[in-house]
Amino acid sequence: MSLAPIPTGVLRQRAEEEASALPPLLVQAEQLAGSILLGDHGRRRSGVGDDFWQYRPLQQGDSRRMIDHRRSAKGDQQFVREREWQIAQTVHLWCDLGASMRFGSDDNQPQKIERARVLALAAAILMIRAGERVGLTGGMLPPRRGNAQILRLTEMLNRTHEVDYSPPEHRAMVPHARALFISDFLGPFDELQLALTKAADRGVQGVLLQVLDPVEEDFPFVGRTRFHSASGGLEHETLKASALRDRYVERLAERRDLLDRLCRDAGWRMGVHHTGESAQTGLMWIYHALQRSPA
Amino acid sequence: MSVIAGIGFSAPWLLLGLLVLPVLWLLLRAVPPAPIKRLFPAVTLLVGLRDDDSQTDRTPWWLLLLRMLAVAAVIIGLAGPVLNPQERSSGSGPLLMVLDASWAGASHWTALERQLETDLAEAGRAGRPVAVLRLTQPAPLTFQAADVWAQQLPGLQPEAWAANADTIAQSLTHLSAVPDAFDTQWYSDGLAFEQQTDVLAALEDRGNVTVVAPPAPVVGLRPPVFDDGAIELRATRVETSSAQTLPVLAQGKDPSGTLRTLATATIELEPGATDGMARLSLPSELRGRLQWFALQGRRSAGAIALSDDSLRRREVALIGATSGNEGLALLSPLHYLRKALVDTTDLLEGNLGDLLPANPDVVVLADVAHLPQSQETALIEWIEEGGLLLRFAGPRLAASDTARGDVHPLMPVRLRAGGRSLGGAMSWGAPKTLAPFSENSPFYGLNIPDEVSVVSQVVAQPDPDLAERVIAELGDGTPLVTRKSLGQGQIVLFHVTANAEWSSLPLSGLFVEMLERLAVSSATRSPDGADLEGTIWKPVQVLDGFGQIQDGGTLPGVAGPDLVTAALGQDLQPGVYSSNGRSLARNVLSADQVLTAPVWPGSVTLRGFEHSQERVLGGLFLAAALIALALDALATLAVSGLLRIGRAAAVILAAAVTFAADPGQAQETDNPTALASEVTLGYVLTGDTQLDALARDGLRGLSEVLYFRTSIEPANPAGVDIEADELAFYPLLYWPISTRQPLPSPAAYEKLNAYLQSGGMILFDTRDADLSRVGATSDNARFLQRLARPLDIPPLEPVPDDHVLTRAFYLLQDFPGRQRGAPVWVEAAPADAEQVEGLPFRNLNDGVSPVVIGGNDWASAWAVDDNGRARLPVGRGFAGERQRELAYRFGVNLIMHVLTGNYKSDQVHVPALLDRLGQ
Repeated sequence: MSLAPIPTGVLRQRAEEEASALPPLLVQAEQLAGSILLGDHGRRRSGVGDDFWQYRPLQQGDSRRMIDHRRSAKGDQQFVREREWQIAQTVHLWCDLGASMRFGSDDNQPQKIERARVLALAAAILMIRAGERVGLTGGMLPPRRGNAQILRLTEMLNRTHEVDYSPPEHRAMVPHARALFISDFLGPFDELQLALTKAADRGVQGVLLQVLDPVEEDFPFVGRTRFHSASGGLEHETLKASALRDRYVERLAERRDLLDRLCRDAGWRMGVHHTGESAQTGLMWIYHALQRSPA
Repeated sequence: MSVIAGIGFSAPWLLLGLLVLPVLWLLLRAVPPAPIKRLFPAVTLLVGLRDDDSQTDRTPWWLLLLRMLAVAAVIIGLAGPVLNPQERSSGSGPLLMVLDASWAGASHWTALERQLETDLAEAGRAGRPVAVLRLTQPAPLTFQAADVWAQQLPGLQPEAWAANADTIAQSLTHLSAVPDAFDTQWYSDGLAFEQQTDVLAALEDRGNVTVVAPPAPVVGLRPPVFDDGAIELRATRVETSSAQTLPVLAQGKDPSGTLRTLATATIELEPGATDGMARLSLPSELRGRLQWFALQGRRSAGAIALSDDSLRRREVALIGATSGNEGLALLSPLHYLRKALVDTTDLLEGNLGDLLPANPDVVVLADVAHLPQSQETALIEWIEEGGLLLRFAGPRLAASDTARGDVHPLMPVRLRAGGRSLGGAMSWGAPKTLAPFSENSPFYGLNIPDEVSVVSQVVAQPDPDLAERVIAELGDGTPLVTRKSLGQGQIVLFHVTANAEWSSLPLSGLFVEMLERLAVSSATRSPDGADLEGTIWKPVQVLDGFGQIQDGGTLPGVAGPDLVTAALGQDLQPGVYSSNGRSLARNVLSADQVLTAPVWPGSVTLRGFEHSQERVLGGLFLAAALIALALDALATLAVSGLLRIGRAAAVILAAAVTFAADPGQAQETDNPTALASEVTLGYVLTGDTQLDALARDGLRGLSEVLYFRTSIEPANPAGVDIEADELAFYPLLYWPISTRQPLPSPAAYEKLNAYLQSGGMILFDTRDADLSRVGATSDNARFLQRLARPLDIPPLEPVPDDHVLTRAFYLLQDFPGRQRGAPVWVEAAPADAEQVEGLPFRNLNDGVSPVVIGGNDWASAWAVDDNGRARLPVGRGFAGERQRELAYRFGVNLIMHVLTGNYKSDQVHVPALLDRLGQ
């Protein structure tokens, strides 16, 4: 980046170009989030919160200020209005923005990165609406609450990385927080292992969602083919692609098996999502997986 | 050329290339298809996997076969295959093609051209230089490559004449100019001509002569002759033994000036006969329009017989001095005129005042000195428009003072009083004879008989312009016939009487000839050379070899005798010639010409037209190779997975569907059948583009609503131009009012009234309910008043609560459009409409209201864009949408009302009807 001042017009144009990418993603994510009705997120016991929980008779030790006079005036007994105990969770997101995610086998299908962003953002919106604090791993965007955080998240998620397979970010995670990692997990395995190990060390529990294109699942290729990664760094040529299918599927299952085992060791959950499916199923899975209270 | 299995090859050695094919097969098999590059992020999982089999995916056998076929087709195509090759002893050395190229060949010219093509191709294959000689248009012989001539072939056309002595002489000169020997192919037209043997002898001196004879005998049409009130059409042909029926078309211009067939006749030719005749009787009016006769279906100048004055009869009005002595016929000034003209013209006799409106060609005044003033004026007018006034002198003219002092407008010269007598008993001189006619005279060339003499005449005053007006004079120089022009016509004065009293001229044949030259009469017999001596004839229309009429204006004139006697050629082409208001046709065939087939000696080889069956297949094979290669490209793509068949098919299918659907859209407005077969809502085109588009979208929106909600399935709405379009197809016309549209023409009002009376409905929409509620307070309403004034509109009233419009489909009490609240006016209920006890509605007008007038701007509420979304907002929020819905409901009710009339009104009687039926 040169230090010469950018003319206002150019700056504005760039800014608008950048901004123009935000609304669609945001809208998509909001729509998706809107499709899930928020269930009650309370702790189902009395505590500090806004929502009414129950009236109970005044007990010893209760301050007089706690008497609910509207209720108490109906009778002789004095009542205390209790509110539901509500606490905020901290959730860390990591969405793989590497080049390998920018792949869609068909023009009609979204690229993996699009689906991953939408899912991540929709989950973030849901959680922020539920009052949680959401942020990214790695200290770029520490967890905060409020609608402004959604915009910040959108902006961050709109970036892309040029690396083929970007390693999971595991720094700056708040202890005992929740985490959501979305990626295709096709990159080096030990990076992921390192990340999960560190997370488990800090008591962070979470969810892995593997987003794959249907082609990556089925491997429907035939004939002489030269496969290459997004940046072209990795290449593999075969004379008869159809003959590779079985072994490829085997390897994919193997990799998934490894992931699964790793998750179980770290107390995480793992899910698979295909871009051929609707985003809603993915979101539902995330929602339920995250909602499950940490045992 | 070697022949293999019926197919000849011009380069058979190339076929050895087919031996390479098996090698190619092996090569193609060994080369694997190019790899496809694919982006595949999961390549990490693939790294390290080995192929089981080092053998590549093989090119499929059918693809190999396709490629083999393509290569084989190329090899065979280049080897020059020819189907059904002609094995002819072709000879060698230069070849001369002699063409008769006369009119007789025109009718089979296309066949001849094909034959020439074949023969030129043959000569080209044999490498023989070719020269072409047309006997009707000889040119020096140039021996060139055959394909050069093949390119010039379209330029070789038959001429409208046959070879004559001149062209034969030229041809012989050209032939003798060639030093070498050559073979000859002579394409005869099937017609013998003089000196044919000379040409043949000259050709046989140089080499072999082959004569190509035409397939069918020559037929021609002789000039038409008018005889006994009918036209005699004669056809002649070369002698053949078969019978022939020849339809003849008589063609000319109809009163509107278009060329059409005015009559037809059929000429039957008996077996063995060479001539046949048909008689065609036509009214003289029709006869005057005839331009030519044509043998149907024969393109040849000989099959056309042009008509001329000989078929046309002029109308001549004869006016004599009124005299009481009817008995003395031979003394009547008109007697000799009548005799001279009766055969060749239609004579009109009577009062000049009665005859002039009939517009005769010629008016003859025989010894008439004075005319009433009114007739004189009319006569002058008629002459100025091109009439010919022919006057004869006589005792009355001599005695009168007509043209004494100054030149009378209807007299060419001034006359001296009294006239003169020659050679009488009391005079010294002898009767005078005529001097030979001068060159400027129209009579120049006529033979003057000795016995013609003049004993008495009126004498012209010697005026300065006398000399130029004299066209015939006596031996002593006294003018005998004078002429002057007046406007486009002319006045001719014979200074003698029209009877034999003053001269013997009317008794001689010269008199008739003079009348002919003056175009008073037209000869029925064809003129001979002597008759036309001294005249020059301009070609007006000439025939080309195919019998097409061409303009003759650029050709030089022809001397009269030549026109009749000389042989046809470049300088004298068949056609219509004119001179001095007369027209004469020179046809290809004369009245007595005999058509004979040529007789060829045994020394020449005679053959007919051989329609070559030869087909050069090289192009076919190469095209097949191209197609195979194209298929191969597609197949290669398909095999390597680059061709998305589904997508390609979808594209093709979409294109096909669009293509198929297109005509349907194109005909939506224009085709009356389409309009009549479906319910089509019409909107009146106002000339305001936006308004028209809005009306169209509005009606389309309404049509869609009708389609979805009711059993009415309207077609696309159509714009109606009330000036030009037929209105009967539209049950409803939506007429948005804008002050900018022009008022319809009276004819359009007539159409609109007829439309309203025959059950049509017009929905007038002033679109201004937001501006004014009632009456003429807005511009649009005032304009509507002006617009509708000439229309037959019954008394109106605001829609009453029990009008059928309120319940035709939906129950409505309000008819909002984009605006709401303004009243809607329909035909008023009859005064005697009363509510019957027990019925909810009055029995209102039985018919459909012819007009509905309102200002709620319905089209704007109905309008949808191409995607079916509303084009304009209505009101606000839900209430607005409700208003739009009500607008649609009004539209549905309206269309229901238009289509079903008072059906809903009658529904109230259903219980009573059922009751009566006893159910």
